[in-house]
Amino acid sequence: MLLSLSWLREFTPYKGSIDELAHRLTMVGLEVEEIVRPFAHLAPMVVGRVVEKKQHPGADKLSLCRVDAGTGENLSIVCGAPNVNTGQNVAVALEGTELPGGQVIKKTRIRGETSQGMICSEAELELGQDSSQIMVLDDALVPGTGLCTALDLEEFVLDIGVTPNRPDCLSVMGLAREVAALFDLPLHKPDLNLQEDRTRRCQDEVQIVIDDPAGCPLYQARIISGCSIKPSPGWMRYRLMSVGVRPINNIVDITNYIMLEQGQPLHAFDRDLLQGDTIRVDRSRPGLMFTTLDEQERELNDRDLLIWDREKPVALAGVMGGANTEINDHSTEVVLECAVFNPLNIRQTARRLGLHSESSFRFERGVDQVNSPFALDRAAQLMSELGLGRVFQGVSREDPRPCKPVRISFRRERANSLLALDVDQEYCGRVLTSLGCEVGEEGGAMQVTVPSYRPDITREVDLIEEIGRIYGLDKTPEHLPKVQKSLHEKTLDNEYRFLEDIKQWARGLGLQEVINYSFVGMAELDLLEVPLEGRVKVFNPLSEEQDVMRTHLLPGLLNTLKHNLGQGNTRLKLFEAARSFEQDSSSETGGRENNRLALLLYGRRYRGHWPHPEDDADFYDLKGLVENLLGSFGGFEGRFVLHKKHPYLDPAVECLCLEKSLGMLGRVAPDKARSYKARKDIWYCDLDLDLLQSLGSLSRPQFQQLPRFPVVKRDMTIVSPLELGYEQLHQVLQDAGVDILEDISLVDVYLPPEKQEKKLTLRLTYRHQERTLKDSEVDKEQQKLADLLLKKLPVGFA
Amino acid sequence: MSSVQEINTSLKSLIQEFKHVLDQASSLHDLEEARVAFLGRKGRLARIMSRLPELAPEERPQAGKTANEVKTDLGRLLEIRKEELEKQLASHGDKAFDPTLPGRTPDFGSVHPVTRVIRDISNIFVGLGFEIVTGPEVETDFYNFEALNLPPGHPARDMQDTLYISETLVLRTHTSPLQIRTMEKRRPPLAAIAPGKVYRRDSDLTHTPMFHQIEGFLVDTHVSMADLRGTLTAFAQRIFDSEVKVRFRPSFFPFTEPSAEVDISCVMCQGRGRNVDGTTCRVCKETGWVEVLGCGMIDPEVFLQVGYDPEEYTGFAFGLGVERVAMLKYGINDLRMFFENDIKFLNQFA
Repeated sequence: MLLSLSWLREFTPYKGSIDELAHRLTMVGLEVEEIVRPFAHLAPMVVGRVVEKKQHPGADKLSLCRVDAGTGENLSIVCGAPNVNTGQNVAVALEGTELPGGQVIKKTRIRGETSQGMICSEAELELGQDSSQIMVLDDALVPGTGLCTALDLEEFVLDIGVTPNRPDCLSVMGLAREVAALFDLPLHKPDLNLQEDRTRRCQDEVQIVIDDPAGCPLYQARIISGCSIKPSPGWMRYRLMSVGVRPINNIVDITNYIMLEQGQPLHAFDRDLLQGDTIRVDRSRPGLMFTTLDEQERELNDRDLLIWDREKPVALAGVMGGANTEINDHSTEVVLECAVFNPLNIRQTARRLGLHSESSFRFERGVDQVNSPFALDRAAQLMSELGLGRVFQGVSREDPRPCKPVRISFRRERANSLLALDVDQEYCGRVLTSLGCEVGEEGGAMQVTVPSYRPDITREVDLIEEIGRIYGLDKTPEHLPKVQKSLHEKTLDNEYRFLEDIKQWARGLGLQEVINYSFVGMAELDLLEVPLEGRVKVFNPLSEEQDVMRTHLLPGLLNTLKHNLGQGNTRLKLFEAARSFEQDSSSETGGRENNRLALLLYGRRYRGHWPHPEDDADFYDLKGLVENLLGSFGGFEGRFVLHKKHPYLDPAVECLCLEKSLGMLGRVAPDKARSYKARKDIWYCDLDLDLLQSLGSLSRPQFQQLPRFPVVKRDMTIVSPLELGYEQLHQVLQDAGVDILEDISLVDVYLPPEKQEKKLTLRLTYRHQERTLKDSEVDKEQQKLADLLLKKLPVGFA
Repeated sequence: MSSVQEINTSLKSLIQEFKHVLDQASSLHDLEEARVAFLGRKGRLARIMSRLPELAPEERPQAGKTANEVKTDLGRLLEIRKEELEKQLASHGDKAFDPTLPGRTPDFGSVHPVTRVIRDISNIFVGLGFEIVTGPEVETDFYNFEALNLPPGHPARDMQDTLYISETLVLRTHTSPLQIRTMEKRRPPLAAIAPGKVYRRDSDLTHTPMFHQIEGFLVDTHVSMADLRGTLTAFAQRIFDSEVKVRFRPSFFPFTEPSAEVDISCVMCQGRGRNVDGTTCRVCKETGWVEVLGCGMIDPEVFLQVGYDPEEYTGFAFGLGVERVAMLKYGINDLRMFFENDIKFLNQFA
């Protein structure tokens, strides 16, 4: 809401500074977002008087003027406007002035004659559309006067963010009421002195029928006759412009003016275009097509409220008028509508049609029904005063649902306890009265009658808020609360803490956390060939790239990869802990949200400088991270199983933990990787954190006695076929039943060139719990294990 | 047969030789080689001692004693030389040793600035006795709107442009549904915060369709505005700076009454509205204040939704935008950077 300071002052004599006003309003919940100087660009313009006008000797269409602009000597100005004349007061841009359009006025020679400034048109000053002639000002003005002063242009406009609960503050009058209360100033309502044409009665000419009283509790109309449509006088146009409203013509401007001043939207129909003498308020028919003022044809449904004449709909109630009865240059008789519509109804229609007008904005929030007749009369009076036409006597009015005042009983103690204040009854009464409430007493309790313009106040707590608001929430006391809770009650949730631990784990291992949007594009999931079913789609996405919730985290990370590659970041070690989303009809929210951990490695294993070699990260770097994860969050050793086929990983390895599938790891299939500009292998895994958390919560450390006797280590180098998995060797050794075998570790893998075999060197660690081992017994066990391997697997020894 | 003399001679010359070898040693590695050669399991001393059984039985104890003394001497010499060498190395150093070469530094990991801020904020509230709760991101219309006193058709629904999954399911537009979910599960006293992702149908320079919020609430008997103000003032001064000024501006949220917005004095220009160089502060747009969160006393309607008696219980709630706090705290000037995940950005939060 843009509030003009001079307009405000018409209703309450605020004399303080603009900054103080802005601060005070902000601190009572009417946040001043900006202080605007709407005509600041016109500040350098001055009034000049044309003291002499001659034909330009070198050009037929130009005049050579001598202008007194209060600078001490008359200026020579060349002017091309046809209407310039001696004795006129005009708007002058002096040398050095910048016009609104950016043009800087310089002393120049035009066809041989000096020009020391410019006489401006309305269009050049952005005060109107007319560029065909110069602006002629009031004769009484003194040359040299600033143009802003001369035209009485508004200096300050406050841009106020009005919260949706305060429709009363969507008008100058409402804000004046608030300002009067805040600064303890009187409030003047504009005087009504309407001159009616008693020869014609409005009620005889137009009847109102309301077929949907719930949708329209009040409908009124007046008739103004003998109108001639032309631009509004300057003061009105400038005032409308100062608050961002484009002047149209005298009728429409007055409807806008009253809406801004009183908060009551009005609509004017051209009476000649209305058929019959009945105005009916009723629902639309489904599928009805209706063309609004903006020339858009719109399809309506049976919940939209319309204004009808005898034959046809003429306005989309409260939202926008119809093109078929619009005021035009030839209109002479106007039917002026002043109504109140049901907020829900208007909101539904405006939203469905995406048609938000100043009018619908106010009706959606609630228009003051009690003030409505006054607003109509005030509009009619303005029309009459400005000589638009004659106002027929009376008002055609239907009010099937009169406004009922809200009464609330108010406990001062409750206010004091909620706000931590200690204010007395008298203070509360004074504050509420200043806000327009009527305060009485009934059986010792304070009874408050709320004014009709405050639909937000319906309960005691709303009154308490008003006390706090005016007292100043910033001035109420403060202290830290005593937080009480029971240690017996189980903590509500440990999901956050687990995820936090995971993030710290990953950070410690040199991974960087990324956060991607939870939604991706359908096409991106399709590219990864993940199942179509189960996807949770966004019904009204912002774009195709964000139209489905991630069933897999990968697309987000691939986009991160692509972005980084584009920025020249070619070595990435990333992680993301986020939810995947899948449909699940058994869930209350229609889906399953699963916390996942994605790890992504790309490019060199080490940063690349000495003393590290420059190899790229590979599967074993990724697997190592996963093994570390399992060990760190439950002391698990995972099992890793190669899969033949996977939608987007190749190779794809499943990670099992206590025989439950935790997720997959592997290399992103190169064809898919290339779509994201990756030239190297992307090593990626996606694991179920919820599962890991629940498995981990079952495992609990169990102390074991520390060994007291030394170990004996023996190496063994095995020659095995390429396809034989290390796990099988490991398994045979582990299952051999050698009690003193404490640990098996792999110390080397060698792939001899040009041979289809591999050499694995294992280091076996032996230890006896109760004594020192002898070499001979270790040798015996080592031999036993070697024999077992030979027997069970197609291996040999080097 | 060896004689005592022979052995004694060997032992003596062993000491001499060992001294010589030690003198020659220029590194700890050399010393270790010398130790193995002389004192090792198969070293020179061991070999001499292995000849002891060859002596006559009456000579053995004396020879054995001498051998042990030599062993002790050798050990002592080694220690002395070792200390000497270590001192030398420490003072002069190995010529090739260059401590300015890069170390084998493990990679620096990092958590996202959003995570970092959530952690900082959570720590403050956990310290005050709050619990941490989480909930679904796809939310029902009931929890996201209706139970929070935002019935269908309420104009305040326009305050948040919503991404819908279906007619009754939304991507939660705020973390406030956790108020309802938590209150439904438990009885007061309750104090919890709920961090998480939220979604709005909005994307421009200052809005991303996904961002993070932290909701906080406290419900008990006799909770007042003073508790809310005390909590949030303490919070703001902890998360930003103990000198920061805090102001409470009345505002409107359907689920709190009274409601307020909390501004802090601008962290960029210290509330002056102008930077040190005299230019206008863009962060607070010259006002000296920046908005950081919304809050209020929980509306009685909300209590009725979860079956609490609003005459018995009162409470406060607040919600803040994590990215907003991160931007102010770290001076980040472009919201979009949070979700581009450029590692040059992420690196700054290691």
